[in-house]
Order: sequence, then C-alpha cells, then structure tokens
Amino acid sequence: MKRLLLFLLALTTVVVFAACTANEDAGQEPEESDTGETETDSNDAEAVEENPGEKILRLNNGVEPSSLDPSIGFDAVSWDPLNNLMEGLTRLNEESVAAEGVAESWDISEDGLTYTFHLREDANWSNGDPVVAEDFVYAWKYMLDPENASSAAFLGYFIKGGEAFNTGEGSADDVAVTAADEKTLEVVLEAPTGFFLDLLTNPAFFPINHRVAEENPSWHAEADTFVANGPFMLESWTHGTEMVFAKNPEYWDAEAVKLDKVHFAMVNDTNTQYQMFETGELDTATIPPELSDQLIDGDNVYIGNYGGLEFFRFNITEEPFQNKKIRQAIAYAINRQDIADYVVKTGVDPAYGFVSPGFTTPSGGDFREENGDLVTFDPDLATQLLEEGMAEEGYEELPPIVLSYNTTDLNKAVAETVQGMLSDNLGIDVTLENQEWNVFAEAQQNLELQFSRSSFINDYSDPVNFLESFITDSYMNRTGWSNAEYDELIANGKSETDEEKRYEYLYEAERLLAEEMIAVPLRYYNTVVLQADGVEGILRHPVGYFDLKYADKN
Amino acid sequence: MLKYILKRFLIMLVTLWVIITLTFILMVSIPGSPFNSDQSSNETIRANLEAHYNLDEPYPIQYLLYLKSIVTFDFGPSIKQPNQSVNDLLARGFPISFELGILTIIVAVISGIILGILAALRHNGVIDYLAMGIAVLGISIPNFILATLLIQQIAVTWELLPTATWSSPAHMILPITALATGPMAIIARLTRSTMLEVLTQDYIKMAKAKGLSPWKIVFKHALRNALMPVVTIMGTLLAGILTGTFVIEQIFAIPGMGKYFVESINQRDYPVIMGTTVFYSAFLIIMLFLVDIAYGILDPRIKFHRKGGE
Repeated sequence: MKRLLLFLLALTTVVVFAACTANEDAGQEPEESDTGETETDSNDAEAVEENPGEKILRLNNGVEPSSLDPSIGFDAVSWDPLNNLMEGLTRLNEESVAAEGVAESWDISEDGLTYTFHLREDANWSNGDPVVAEDFVYAWKYMLDPENASSAAFLGYFIKGGEAFNTGEGSADDVAVTAADEKTLEVVLEAPTGFFLDLLTNPAFFPINHRVAEENPSWHAEADTFVANGPFMLESWTHGTEMVFAKNPEYWDAEAVKLDKVHFAMVNDTNTQYQMFETGELDTATIPPELSDQLIDGDNVYIGNYGGLEFFRFNITEEPFQNKKIRQAIAYAINRQDIADYVVKTGVDPAYGFVSPGFTTPSGGDFREENGDLVTFDPDLATQLLEEGMAEEGYEELPPIVLSYNTTDLNKAVAETVQGMLSDNLGIDVTLENQEWNVFAEAQQNLELQFSRSSFINDYSDPVNFLESFITDSYMNRTGWSNAEYDELIANGKSETDEEKRYEYLYEAERLLAEEMIAVPLRYYNTVVLQADGVEGILRHPVGYFDLKYADKN
Repeated sequence: MLKYILKRFLIMLVTLWVIITLTFILMVSIPGSPFNSDQSSNETIRANLEAHYNLDEPYPIQYLLYLKSIVTFDFGPSIKQPNQSVNDLLARGFPISFELGILTIIVAVISGIILGILAALRHNGVIDYLAMGIAVLGISIPNFILATLLIQQIAVTWELLPTATWSSPAHMILPITALATGPMAIIARLTRSTMLEVLTQDYIKMAKAKGLSPWKIVFKHALRNALMPVVTIMGTLLAGILTGTFVIEQIFAIPGMGKYFVESINQRDYPVIMGTTVFYSAFLIIMLFLVDIAYGILDPRIKFHRKGGE
C-alpha cells in the first residue's frame, strides 16, 4: 500500500512538473498558442475544402527546414519552402531555364563582368514594402559576412570582393554589389560567369527585406514576422509539425498563382507518408523502397531528372590506385545498368558519365548526350586493362582493396553488388567496410579511405558545379588528384564569355576526368513522386527545388 | 531533515556534473563534425562555421562554455537548425513526449490489470487463454511493427482514424495503442500470476468463508496485494516509455523530443546532445530525489541519519 501511495505521489509530482513546464512555455512562446490556431485552421481548411473555390495542396517536407533564412538554410528541406515563399532576381521557368523574376530585365556589359538588373516596379514584400535593390545588397553581404557563417557563402565568391570579405581579408564595402537607385542593382563579377543568371535562382541569392531584418534579426524564425516576396507567404508555422503557406496577394504575378493554400507536413517516415498519401492526407509522396517494384509503373508517378551523381572515389595516393589502368579496369568491370535496374530501382538511370542529364547546352542539346558515354561495361577490356596496369606496376598480386561506404541499406546493397561484379569480371577480392556517416565523411576528407562511396547533388544549374570538385586542392576533391591541365580547363569553363566555347572546355574537362578515371560514376539521382489525381503544374527542376507557382489542384 | 535534503541535493549536483563531464568527453571523442555533408563547401566556410559555434576553441574552453550554458540553462542555438534554440526544442518537444508517455502508461496499466484479473479469475478458461494470448502477442510484436500494421489496417484500409501526426485526440489513439501494448502485456502477465497466488492465500479463503461478495474479495482484498509487483516495475516502465518513444514518434510524425536524442548524436549537433542529456538526467535525478524524500515521510522507520550518535 505504501509503495502504491509512493508511486501515486511520484506520478503526481511528475504531472505537476510537466504542467509547470508547459505553462511556462505558453507564457513565453508564441507558437504554443499557434498550435491551437493551426488545429482550428486545418479543421477550417477541411471544412472549406468542400467548397470548390479554395484550392489547398498538401505536401510533405519530411522534416523541419533547417532555416528559412535564405542565406543560412542551405539544403533541400529549406530550399523547397523558400523557393515558393521568395523570389530572386531570376526564377527558373517551365523549361528550367533562368528567366525574369524580381528583375524584369538586365544589361550585361561587353566584357561579361557587370550586370545591371532592373527590378519590377510592382515587386513587393508581403508586408507591402517594395522590393528594392538595397534588399539584395543587404542579403548578399549578409550571406558573405564571415560572422554569419553561411554554408552558401562560396556561391557569392563569383561576385567581386565576395571571397575576400568571406575569408576576412576584405570588407563588406569592397563587395561589388550596389544599389544604383531604388530599383536598379549593379553587380560586378570577379570573372565572366556564363551561368550567373542560373546561380541567382538559388535561395542563397534571394533578397532580404532589410528594413524588417535590421529591426528584427530573427525575422525568419516565426510565421508572424516572416516577410515573403514570392508566390506564397508563410501563414503559420508550427515547428516540427506543419507549415501553412497562403497565396501572397502582394506578389507581382499573383494572377498566375492558382493555389490558395499549401500545407507542408513534416513526416519523416517513408512508409507513413505513403500511407498518408493513400488516405488522401497528402497530395504527393515518395515511393517507399520496398514498394518500388509495385508502384513505379503507375499512372500517378512522376519521374524526372535530379541533378546528382552517385559515384566511388579512388584515393590515388594509395596503392594500387596510383595506376590509371587499374582505376579504369575497375570502372569498366561494373555493370551499371544492373545496379540501376535491380539494386537501386525506382527508375534511376545508370551513369556512363559524370555530369547528370538535364543541363541544356547553348545549342539547345543536353550536355550528357552531347558528350556521350565516357565509360561502359566491358569485362574484356577491363581484364586487359587490369593486366596492363599490373604489369606497369610490376604487381604479381594486386594489393588488397577496401571499399568503404557510409552505413545505409542501399549503400550496402550497391557495395555488395560491386564487390560481386569485380570478383566475377576481374577476379579481384574487395573487402567491404562500412562506417557511420560522420566518421566516414571525416575519413574520406582526410584521404584515409582507399576506395569510397560518394554522392553529389548540384547546387546550381551548370555542369561546372560538379566538375569543379576535382580541381587541385579543392575541398571537395577527396582523391588526392591534381592535374594542371584539368585545373585550366575548369578555369576556362567558368570564365569563358563565349558559351559555345565554354561548353567545349567543360566537355573536354569531363572527358579528361573519365580518361584519368579518378572516380567511378555509378548512377544518376532522379525525382520520383507519387502525385494525386488532379494535382498538376508542379515544376520539379533538375537542380534543387520545386516550384508551386503554377501548381493547381482540381 | 533539512540537513539530509541539503546533503542529497549536493550529491545530486555532483552526479549531474559527472554526467555532464562524461557526456562532453564522449561527445568530443567521437570522430566527425556537424558540418560534414556531401554538399559543396570549402575551408573558409568550415572555419567560419566552427568559429560561429565556438568549435575552434581548445577543448577546455569549450568545456567551460558548456558548463556556463548549463548553469544559465541556455544551451544556445541548435547547429542543425540555427534559428531554433535548444531551449525551444526541449520546451516544445518534452510536453508532447510526456503527454504520449503518460497516456500510454495509463492505458497500459488499466488494460493490463483488467486483462490480468480476468485471466486469473477464469483460470484455465477461455478468457484466460484469450487474455494470455493477447499478452504473448503484445510482448512478442515489436511496437514499430504493430504501429505500421495499425496504420495499414485501421487508418488506410478501414479509414477509421487519421494516419499520423499529433493534432487531435483521434490522432493519439494509434500511437498510444502501439506503444502501450508491450507494457500492457507485461502488466497483464504479472497481475495474473500474483493474483493466482494471492487467491489461494488463507485470508482470501477466510473472506470467502465470511460470505463476502466475490467482487469485494477481488478488489478490496486480493488486488491490493497482487498489485505490489506491478507498482515495483512501474518505475522502470515509466522511465522506458518517457525516453524510449523515438521510433513511435518517427513513425507517427509526432513532434516530441525522442528524435533529438538519436538525431543530435548522428548529426553531431553538440548543443542539442548536451541539452537533451542534461535535461533528462536532471529530470530523472530530481525524480529519484523526490522519491527518496517521500520514502522518509511515508515510512518513519527510514532514518535520515544512518550514522548513530545523533
């Protein structure tokens, strides 16, 4: 009896303790009351949904966005919401090409260095303020300020003085972005950059309402202080649970926006979000890997390019990978089609080159098709290359090879398949090793791994984004490779003003990378989305983020 | 009495300090950094980030900064969600995890005891086998499988309840069921076996002989004693459920704090690791402290001054 009493007593204390915590929150935190509001909101919304006038799209963001500060939130879960709340000088159009956004026109100087943007007269913030050139100046300098530690800052290095400011060697005043007048923005670049307009579609280059931000530096943390200049505005944000976007009446092209509201749930379990899609609680969902075979051929499945590559890096400072032919042998011994079709599934394409499909060349073609297949599956050639390579190095027996990957089910399956292929086609016994992501990433960075898995997701829509990773001493290099010819090709591939020529440099760079075979391409990433009937017009760009501006739900 | 409380309080602080220090040492000794990612980056950006979160300081300084953040109970911003402070995350997540945990315990205790009593009263009967069948299933099916099954059947196929999230009482039914089934099964089996034992005792026979109604015998005389073992395991169950809801929270998209325990470590989000560890250990230590004091109040035979001569 006494112990029972004791337990009850303990329980009561616990409850009181919790009640206190909860009450304190309610006093301090506005979002506690938001929770209540959102509940009624969603109930209202469900009630209104009967009314065909209101169009509400229900999406899943998976998790809470890292940050809705456009300079800080540097990942897909922040980009997707941001790209619909805000708009940069340019915006990707239906063809995924940078077109007019906040800027209605621009002039580029002869030398390709100076860009003058003319902002729309009717571009406004959701609080009614006009979007002015100063908002861009503020945002870009904020991004480059080392104090603010933006992960996206390297994108601003294309601007003159940007890198110096970010490394602490220069000052904010030296960053060559200026407001000529309220609606005219002038930017001077470090070197001609053919893809600068594409770059500007990245959320890192979105404007920040400088009047709001100067008054309240954490304006982006809550719905009631958030100011948007895109097709939608942030109506409510229950952290960790849901964001609700409403159509932004102040948006210059508000007429084109068809949806009234967008709900972003945060459901991080692939099965659960699929089940919510089945019950109609979500309008789009991803396909759980286990159900891929059943669902992938359905009518409601959207499959599109997603700028990214899965590949294996060689560490050329370790034996036997200092030898080019041995590296090539391994690359030719892998059957990518089988990996894509039977291991990764979900409709992915095998990678016979490094740059993923979806990058339009100046002549209107696709980079991937123009530069062709750079590696194939050819066991005979592989065997021959291996023999030659071993002869060159004087190996009687190949030094042991360890293939490392960060621990996930899919990475394991791919690694085991590659292990099998190398054993069947080359007779090489590869040892597999897996590590927790963070340990793995650290070891790869420090060149402690011999042969390791990697992935790359494009930050902006240009092939140079990936190719640049392999220049000498790049932070992204992680192979120990250094090649002066390649460095020069990339330098030209960034700054050549003639686009045709610039692409020629990039084709050549990619071919050189394949010839040296510093990394083995495996497969490209793709976007596979289940979409409910009646949902249309969602633009899913190959790079980065989707656009709901023209989305509709019937 | 006051002296005892004071002494216990000091021990509590020392325990906390030990936990904090051990956590810090473990934290900095696992390789990796919160800034590793497959996304493009460069050395300057890494350095700026490290400076921003004071991770470029030597470990002793970082340790002092952590101690300071704990003393002031301000853990600063999360590294992975820079516009959220760790305090916000805890203040938002804990009440939800707690609500889920307490409701689960209540459901598990009530249904477990009822099942146990029914089984004991109809010993070796159909109800007994049925109840114990449920209990065996409950123990052997892991809660994440049960959760998926429940969603598939009840939410998707029959469309009786919403699939996931934590926004209305109807949303709470499935996660609580999934989470409560295991503990319920344990309690049911425990209640049944002690009940069976108690029912054969002399004083029950005596009560029957007196002509008391079966209802009164069971609830007034037998159950009280039969429940003692259940109360004993409650402590462990409570701690387990309040802390162990990560998987269920993940499946049902419940914005509790379970995910921060696991994710903060995977992501090396140091302030969140510290915040969650300190919060939970302080919570548990305070509970133990209160229980210890309550022991003394409830049972005068427990002396506060063990050492004689006072």
